[in-house]
Amino acid sequence: MSDPIKFRPLMVLRLETAAWQEFGSTPQGALTIVPVVGGSFAGDRLRGKVLAGGGDWIMADANGTFSLDLRITLETDDGALIHMTFGGVRDDANHYLRTTPRFETAASQYAFLNRLLAIGIGEIRAEGPVHVIEEVL
Amino acid sequence: MNTRLLMTMQVNVGTAQNIGAVPYGTRRTAPISGGTFEGPRLRGTVLQAGSADWLLLRSDGVLELDLRCTLRTDDGALISMGSFGLRHGPPDVIAAIGRGESVDASMYYFRTLPRFVTAHQAYAFLNRLVAVASGERRPQGPIYTIHEVL
Repeated sequence: MSDPIKFRPLMVLRLETAAWQEFGSTPQGALTIVPVVGGSFAGDRLRGKVLAGGGDWIMADANGTFSLDLRITLETDDGALIHMTFGGVRDDANHYLRTTPRFETAASQYAFLNRLLAIGIGEIRAEGPVHVIEEVL
Repeated sequence: MNTRLLMTMQVNVGTAQNIGAVPYGTRRTAPISGGTFEGPRLRGTVLQAGSADWLLLRSDGVLELDLRCTLRTDDGALISMGSFGLRHGPPDVIAAIGRGESVDASMYYFRTLPRFVTAHQAYAFLNRLVAVASGERRPQGPIYTIHEVL
């Protein structure tokens, strides 16, 4: 018997997206790029806004499952920049949208982000994607 | 966050290939010489061929693990597994692991995020899930307890 892995809330990330760019079928699958033009994030340990310039590179496989590949820049309310990426799976048939975010920052007060793994539960809402992200303890 | 046990996997590692200082840290490759995995929905062996853990010790002391291995289930399906992980802890604990000593897994952080790819229909559910694992470093190689993220 194994102990379940424990988690701790990290942030809720809300993304503002621009018009999807549909590329159609590429050799790897059907590609859609969802540009991220803004947003916000908030948690006990960090909060701030999402800078424009990022996006999610989404590849659909033949079974209608999507592979996510997001990269964005976060700016905290005290001025630190955080490079954030995630891979993930979106399977609409099973209402499943899970991501594995990673963070990189040079700001010492957020260096803990460089040392953790995280899991996100995503939801596509009318106002845009919302990801509830928890640290893997 | 809800999870459920997917499998435990134990692998044995061979002689490490010390690549040395590279631009982002110190790189070492640990070939996997074999292993086994077992869970409620799948079980089998870890193949030696094509399986290794590509390790990068970063300048901040965190070890990044980039594992790739091929699993063969007991009914003959091939599953390609990859995982990204982090391992870090107090310097004396990490040093003890480096000396090949047995260390209580609660003394350090060793977590990975496995992903799976297979063409076998019986295991197609693996293509559509995200998983998280806790690792335990034994002298002969790690044991991973892998949970599906529900």
